[in-house]
Amino acid sequence: MLGQVIATEFLKLRRAKITWLTALGIAIGPLFGGLFMWILQEPGRAERLGLIGQKAQFLGQAADWPTYFALLAQMTGIVSVVLFSLVTAYVFGREYSDGTAKNMLALPVTRAWFPVAKLLVVLVWCGLLTVVIITVGFLVGAALKLPGFSVTLAAASVGEILLVALLGYLLMPVVAWIAALGRGYLAPLGFALLTLLLGMGLGATGWGKWFPWSIVPLFAGIAGPRTETLASGSLVVLALTCAAGVAATIWLFTYADNNQ
Amino acid sequence: MISTAGLTKHYGEVQAVDGLDLHVRRGEIYAFLGRNGAGKTTTIRMLLGLVRPTSGRVTVLGTDIAPGATAVFSRVGYLVEAAAAYPDLTVRENLDLQRRLTGAGREAVGEAMDLLGLSGSADRRAGQLSLGNKQRLSLARALLHRPDLLILDEPANGLDPAGIIEVRRLLRRLVDESGVTVFMSSHILAEVAHLADRIGIVHEGRLLQELDFDELRARTRAYLDIGVSEPDRAAGLLREQLGLDLIERRPEGGLRVFDGSDRGPEIARALISAGLDLTRLVPVQEDLESYFIRMTGGES
Repeated sequence: MLGQVIATEFLKLRRAKITWLTALGIAIGPLFGGLFMWILQEPGRAERLGLIGQKAQFLGQAADWPTYFALLAQMTGIVSVVLFSLVTAYVFGREYSDGTAKNMLALPVTRAWFPVAKLLVVLVWCGLLTVVIITVGFLVGAALKLPGFSVTLAAASVGEILLVALLGYLLMPVVAWIAALGRGYLAPLGFALLTLLLGMGLGATGWGKWFPWSIVPLFAGIAGPRTETLASGSLVVLALTCAAGVAATIWLFTYADNNQ
Repeated sequence: MISTAGLTKHYGEVQAVDGLDLHVRRGEIYAFLGRNGAGKTTTIRMLLGLVRPTSGRVTVLGTDIAPGATAVFSRVGYLVEAAAAYPDLTVRENLDLQRRLTGAGREAVGEAMDLLGLSGSADRRAGQLSLGNKQRLSLARALLHRPDLLILDEPANGLDPAGIIEVRRLLRRLVDESGVTVFMSSHILAEVAHLADRIGIVHEGRLLQELDFDELRARTRAYLDIGVSEPDRAAGLLREQLGLDLIERRPEGGLRVFDGSDRGPEIARALISAGLDLTRLVPVQEDLESYFIRMTGGES
């Protein structure tokens, strides 16, 4: 029956505009990265463009593939908190906004399969969004004719981007729990913004590697100096956060009253 | 098919349902009547395991309803409160989701659409349906897997008069031809008057009465509605001269006489002879709606 539940969760996305909107939204990341590279290719342009130019010069020293890949990893770090949270809020929150949650809970199906299937849908969706970042990134980089490309660099960078995305995904079960608890979209989106700010803020302190929402930005290099390798403690924190989120969401689906 | 024992639900200080003992028999249409806020929907949610009782027990089709109970729901179809569907999906797609989750055959979707008159809207998105058709879609969803028991919360919501009659006929047919049992809630007695076999009246979370529909009819009262000058004097006169006892003084003036509904001419003569102006004398058979309102503490 889990297979049927997973199938129905994918079918629910049919014709949902948000799938395309998130794909478009995520493409903005590598496009902006490309814009920085384009500005850096000619410093004169940076000066004429004022603040954007200064920021671009600050972010990267050279307009080449290593810098661009590092930028893509940073973008993924932010996107994994914001857009992945939006995806999770939609997949879970819509059942409450559309009033359909009650229709799932008195069926010959173990209730726990619904959050499990939904988290799987979120995983696939977020995976595809990450593929969009990588694909658009390669296209933009190639169009700008950035120097310094090598297969080894590309493979390592793609691996890094995928890892950042995967680490970001580990935080999504908590967002799912907030969506089920708050019965809609608003609470999880507010939570995502709050944790993004907290994560960036705490990332600049020594506590960053212990705070789940700082670990991903730190690893992606957008909250203070970049952490090249994840401390095993940080991995444990992320794994525990993920497990707690999954358990709490399953508990809510199974035992909480539905008064919708 | 359904039984509850001491079913109770509190939300903090609010007692939504209080010690409810329900008994629904196989193959009957049981109307669960109560005003808005009487505890009907909370009861239905507890029957379906959507809400956990504070105390008491629910048994549906022989299974105790608890969070782990799932198999029993292959034999239960339901509709709770507002009709809901995935707005981006068509009618057919919405029903197909239900089909997959209940293990029904592929033909079930078409049959359910035919039953509820939705075939013409099969490829319309649920978000574009009228309120009535959304309700039909929810009913189709409930019926799709041919359940033995239907639990329907205000099934006539949003339907036009023709739709209400149509659904009423459909439910009667399902009961008569397929032996389905129907438990339905309503706040309008007239809506179920031509349909229900038995009725439970719930008020402020408590079951006031559970009775057969014929019994309910027998309990409705007949009375004389009298318009008269000096109603207090008239009431005293009827008590003294005719020995009538059950006389109610109406706030808007006039009287209601409950133990003399067949003594109209006699009453008229007595009042006129006493020099009172008789402006109205109407024999009234209380309708079911008035009975229901009276039972639930309202003005009859």
